[in-house]
Amino acid sequence: MTQPDRDLAVIDVALEQGRATAPDAAERELQELALALRADSAEPRPAFADELGERVRAGFPRTAPARRARSLAGRLRLPRRLLPVMAAAATVLIALAVAVPLLGGGEDATIGGTEPQLRGGRDSGAPPAAESRSDMTQAPPPVPPTGGSGQGFDPGRGRRSIERSASLSLEAPADDLDQVAEGVARVADRQRGFVLRSSVSSGEAAAGGSLDLRVPADRLRDTLRDLSALGKVRSRSESGQDVTGAVVGASDRLDSARAERASLLRRLRRAGSDTQAEALRRRLDANAIEVRRLRSDLRSLRLRTNYAAITVGLSDGSQGGALGGPEDTTQDALDDAVASLQASLNFMLRALGALLPLALVLAALWYGARGLMRRRRESALA
Amino acid sequence: MNEALAQPLPAATAQREADSFDALYERTFPRVYAYVASLLRDRSAAEDVTAQAFERAYRKRRGYRPSRGSAEAWLFGIARNAALDELRRRKRRAALESDVEDVAAPALDDQAETALRREVVRAALAGLDGPDRDLVALKFQGGLSNTEIAASLGISESNVGTKLHRAVTKLREACRDAA
Repeated sequence: MTQPDRDLAVIDVALEQGRATAPDAAERELQELALALRADSAEPRPAFADELGERVRAGFPRTAPARRARSLAGRLRLPRRLLPVMAAAATVLIALAVAVPLLGGGEDATIGGTEPQLRGGRDSGAPPAAESRSDMTQAPPPVPPTGGSGQGFDPGRGRRSIERSASLSLEAPADDLDQVAEGVARVADRQRGFVLRSSVSSGEAAAGGSLDLRVPADRLRDTLRDLSALGKVRSRSESGQDVTGAVVGASDRLDSARAERASLLRRLRRAGSDTQAEALRRRLDANAIEVRRLRSDLRSLRLRTNYAAITVGLSDGSQGGALGGPEDTTQDALDDAVASLQASLNFMLRALGALLPLALVLAALWYGARGLMRRRRESALA
Repeated sequence: MNEALAQPLPAATAQREADSFDALYERTFPRVYAYVASLLRDRSAAEDVTAQAFERAYRKRRGYRPSRGSAEAWLFGIARNAALDELRRRKRRAALESDVEDVAAPALDDQAETALRREVVRAALAGLDGPDRDLVALKFQGGLSNTEIAASLGISESNVGTKLHRAVTKLREACRDAA
């Protein structure tokens, strides 16, 4: 035992026994000092002791204003055992606030994974009928061409002709497939369209079907919205094909054919011989056939641009898709599971990356504030 | 758990807690008062702070964790914080370093030799710096063990022993010089 330990031990003995008992003079001196220090303790006034004792026994009753303040504070403050829950909830909220923008990345949500592609009009060498495709989005207005003489685009023409089509896969219970098919027909009718072809099978072995619709192009989005409400949407896509060049070409050729017909008729009126008149009539007949064909083409093109084609696939819940089988379902489920797991891991990593520095900063701040408070308090003793 | 818990406890638990706090109060009240008075050197302030400390302890009694130390150490920690806050608030730093009100009640049968020794000890005590006086007060006025002092101050027990021995040695030398 070291000397300090021995000194402290003899002090404790003196305090415990209430008297100095050490035979050694130095130790006895320490014991007497300790007893003198304790004897110099201030004693409370009896009145104060009685008053405080009463308050302790009464459980420190609060005054009316303090009770009101306490009541208000009690309403505002939460029990400590709820604090971890609140902290966890706050952490999750912070993580979501931080991670969701990181996950989203400002991209448009799509189903099907393809991006809008109606960008062909920017290329001067684009094909005559630039095809566009988009999922869950309607084809945006075409971009004016920057130049070139491609037949697919019509420089200077304000209104473009777009042939639109969409595909929708709906899933519904096998028993409800007939009703869903009827609903599809009702939607087409309501949108002033029609069912071009319908094939629905409700048998247990292969419940499903397909319907081809035509609806006015300007009602495509409303129609898809109504159709999507009929069942669970498994996939949805839209595409657009720019046929402005074809329309313009057909129109120009029709105008030329009409002009030629007028010219032939004028020449026929001025024909000087029967042989010449007969030749002109034959050319007029051929021209009439050409005009009819061009009119038909133009009408067909306008029909295709005025009406959008919608293919609706129907399937029951047991199938992976409108045409999918059980194998597809399992594979899809596996793919979905892996994708979900990957997304969850990505989310957790991003949340961790955001929260870890935040937690470190908060811990440092808390530790620093605590130390500062302690130092300020201790400074009263300095 | 702490005072923020507003929901009522089961009657038996609440009664047990109240009895336990009563016992703690009876056991420690004179020592807490003596310790606070030793720090503040002011009777009136010592009474206020002592009452405040017990009330704070009562409100926070459910937050006491035996694993962190004895109830006495916990209570003296509260009393110490209240006393230091009072010192800071009232700018009474000088009170720890100079002669102040005599808070110890003089005994009626005080003999001359005892009175002289008391004065010597007080003078020596006044010569200590604040932290040493705090330590001496916890030990001799508060009656805490070194383990309890360590828990109250948040330092190790060996550190308490070292500091305490140093303070007592200074006191002894000061007393010898005065004698």
